[in-house]
Amino acid sequence: MKLRHSIPIILVVLYGVVPLLLQHNNYIMSILVASLTIAGIALAWSLLGNLGGMVSFGHAAFFGVGSYTSAILTMKMGVPVFPAILFGGIGAAIASIAVLPALRLAGPYFALAILAYANIFRILATEFTSLTGGAGGLLGIPLFPELFGFNFGSKLGSYLIITSIVLIFAVIYRMIRTSYHGFALLAMIEGEDSTRVVGVNSTFLKAMMLFLSAFMTGIIGAFNAHYINFLEPDYAFSGVWTMIPIVAAIFGGYRTLTGPIIGAIVVYTVDQLIFKALIPSGHQIILGALLTLMILFAPDGLIPLFSKKLSWARRVKENRSPQTGHIC
Amino acid sequence: MSALILQSLYSGLLTGGYYALIALGLALVFSTVKIINLAHGEMVLLAAYMAYVMENSFATNPVVAMPLALVIASLIAVIIYFLISRIKKHRELNSLILTYGIGIILTNAILITWSADIHSTSNEAMQKPITIGPFSSMTSELIFLGVSMLMVAALWWWLTRSWYGRAVRAVSSNRDAAKLMGINPQNTELVAFIVAGILASFAGVALYCTGVIQPSLGTALTTKAFIITVLAGIGSIPGVLIGSVLIGVAESLTVTLYSSAIQELTGMVLFLLVLFVLPNGLFGQTRRRG
Amino acid sequence: MKLFRNSLCLTTSLLLTFSSVHAKEFLVGVELPLSGSYARAGKGNLEGITIAAEMFNKHNPKHKIKLVTIDDESSPAKAQAAVEKLAGQGVVAVTGGYSTTVTGAGATAANKAGLVYMTHGAPGKDILERGFKTFFRINNTEGYTTAISGLLGDMGVKSVSIVTSSLQATAEVANDVKKDMAAKGVKVTVHTFDPGTADFKSIINKIKLQDRSEAIFMSALENDYVGIIRAAKVLKPNIKALVGLWSLATPKMATDFPDLMINVFGTAMLPYPAEFKTQEGKEFVETCKRLYNKPPDYLAQLGYVQAQVLFEAIRLADEKGTLTKGGLPAELRKTNRDTLIGHVSFDKNGDNPNFQQWIGQHQAGGKIPLVWPKDRSNVNMKYPALPW
Repeated sequence: MKLRHSIPIILVVLYGVVPLLLQHNNYIMSILVASLTIAGIALAWSLLGNLGGMVSFGHAAFFGVGSYTSAILTMKMGVPVFPAILFGGIGAAIASIAVLPALRLAGPYFALAILAYANIFRILATEFTSLTGGAGGLLGIPLFPELFGFNFGSKLGSYLIITSIVLIFAVIYRMIRTSYHGFALLAMIEGEDSTRVVGVNSTFLKAMMLFLSAFMTGIIGAFNAHYINFLEPDYAFSGVWTMIPIVAAIFGGYRTLTGPIIGAIVVYTVDQLIFKALIPSGHQIILGALLTLMILFAPDGLIPLFSKKLSWARRVKENRSPQTGHIC
Repeated sequence: MSALILQSLYSGLLTGGYYALIALGLALVFSTVKIINLAHGEMVLLAAYMAYVMENSFATNPVVAMPLALVIASLIAVIIYFLISRIKKHRELNSLILTYGIGIILTNAILITWSADIHSTSNEAMQKPITIGPFSSMTSELIFLGVSMLMVAALWWWLTRSWYGRAVRAVSSNRDAAKLMGINPQNTELVAFIVAGILASFAGVALYCTGVIQPSLGTALTTKAFIITVLAGIGSIPGVLIGSVLIGVAESLTVTLYSSAIQELTGMVLFLLVLFVLPNGLFGQTRRRG
Repeated sequence: MKLFRNSLCLTTSLLLTFSSVHAKEFLVGVELPLSGSYARAGKGNLEGITIAAEMFNKHNPKHKIKLVTIDDESSPAKAQAAVEKLAGQGVVAVTGGYSTTVTGAGATAANKAGLVYMTHGAPGKDILERGFKTFFRINNTEGYTTAISGLLGDMGVKSVSIVTSSLQATAEVANDVKKDMAAKGVKVTVHTFDPGTADFKSIINKIKLQDRSEAIFMSALENDYVGIIRAAKVLKPNIKALVGLWSLATPKMATDFPDLMINVFGTAMLPYPAEFKTQEGKEFVETCKRLYNKPPDYLAQLGYVQAQVLFEAIRLADEKGTLTKGGLPAELRKTNRDTLIGHVSFDKNGDNPNFQQWIGQHQAGGKIPLVWPKDRSNVNMKYPALPW
């Protein structure tokens, strides 16, 4: 597959070229970090959608729980930042246990049930003032520390951390997808009853995917808390953390591995750098228009669109008749 | 104490009526066309702004804006349906994203056109308090409760008695069989969307007359409508009214008997409880497994 | 004769061009919410800042302020990015911000870049504990709290019910007012509501039948006030006064909802119609009318003062030659002057300890005179008085 060949190039660009060229441009780096944060959630969301077969409208719930868990652990119990982020993910996974009963609900019911959870967590965070700082939230959440002489609290440091997190997620996603369980899950999405006959424990697998998706989103939330250093209920559980990743994933092509990541980076950066310059206030209207057009003309997302066009171009060049069957 | 509870129940009933108006359009489209229209809240909001424009520019009673709101909301509904019908694959998921995109366009269009200022009716008759025994409310709230019940009845009648209404139900239940019966699914679904637009316009005017509008309201409206739709269950129109009133009353009682800070929590928890006990909502009719 | 006149014109225009060429331009960054939940506050703030720039440039031919505005979309991450972008564009200072989280993120980025951050949108206590060296603000919750407590104290109410939105800024004021009034021996009951609440009848009914307070204090936002007052008009609790916080004693509320506002109290810095005694005040109103076709509201007033103080300090620092050497914060700390919102100076945390709010009351004819404190008002407050 094409992807395998480009991995070294991607790594060089992400860890070498970008830092070298852009590390002093705080503004661009901020946008990159923010877009990668979205990419992480988009990946986790796609995982749940592709391998778990469940579309969620409330991933902000896991994001927020991860944020608060990590922030509280570092601020009130003196846990160091990096372990706390891990616990943030675990906290979100534990919170997803509450969502388990919703697994047996059909599509839109599940999607909405999670949305309800996001709202519930938000209100709980506002109410438990002694723990979460209530409506005022938490200020001065610790930055990433210095490790091996490198200050991870810097912009560059944050960028390296989130890039690594997203890459690790991508690897995990790939591993699961190509594993035995992955195939089982994919088969299950197509026809659950037949897989049960073959002996696949569908509910267990779905639950695992839910935990994993929640865990990943929680880690991203925890990252964001230490990056922005401020947290409040409306921000941590904001609908934005649910919807922009969905837009990014669909835009990039949620059935693919790179789709959500590229979708997030493209959508966010283009919106902030180009659309915002065109219409300073209300530029999201272009985003909305773009989304609409995408769905109508390229519903599988950008990546499949490009790979289709590339493979078609290649075949035309080699004088073969265009065929189907290119599994990305 | 009892006066407190009575008024609380009454407030909940009124709120429920208003929620039902908002949810009806979404529920209809979801039940029949199986599409979740995420721009529904924005359609309602746009209709509300039409009421504002009429009252502000022509100093009339906002209800006079109904025709204008009807036209605009129906137009948007037609455009949305037209765009949705261009989708070929994965209609459910893609229409979700499509309508989400349209919702963004509408919200920002409203922001650009009317800015972020808040608006509501200043009509005296609408705001006039009206008290019947231990029950008090604004006149507009009572009026629109009536409108809401009327709409539910009218919609139920339309779906069960009129030709187009029954065609809509036929198409939703079995598209191909309906075609064999001589029904054009395309036209029927379009009709469903237009009716949803009409319902949204009533909801919008109700919103302007009983509450305060601002551009950011669109998403909250869609969420509420959606929760009530799911609570009521697919295919049940009276269920929308019952579900709405249930949520309205639950919220009201929570504030009265417990704490006002967790009002929104009640709706959510109730919603989850119902879902877990009755996975198809209160009156839903579709198959059980997801 | 013609030749003389023409050459005179030519010389004059040359001189004018020459002198304006010498006007130094200063870029000032403005980052605030123009979309999202706080769009209303951001827009109002921007109007005030723009008026200040207009007036400053007119009176200071040698110094020209150029504003660079970026919408932070009510999001902390975008506020941070906005400040970073502005820093990259070479602004000498940043002003704007609304809500603690968003302002906090912007101020953090400004602090890192060594840029002054001047705001009116973070009145809570927490932000002062962040250790920012370049953070300045012209208002704080204490100013609002003292006004409300003072008014209620002067009214002599024995019990008050506080209806507050759970948002941080309003909740903080509500909490402080509660403490103040409880210390005075007044019975206080607090009802917190979620910002999405539209129907307040249940809360008002509780106040009417359970609290039975003499006054209601609303710590909320514009849309909440409309809902709360409507509910009060419907249920008619047996109170003597209805008091609110910011955005209430404004001409907009008087124009849009005359039946709801009459006799309602709210915090205000200026009466309406604003009777400005100073030349500056008169020019402020006139410039606002010219640019925006409406009288200035309190958001514009705050924006005007925060910008005016900042521009003045920029000019002074430039004349002393310290501007490019990071001397702006020190110059700002030397501020000690009267403004449209009263006396302004900055302590070591960047707070304005003089900040004080007054109370206005909606009275007949769409007028909103100041009624508290007594020495600031020339009109008696109507008490007890209600919108029904």
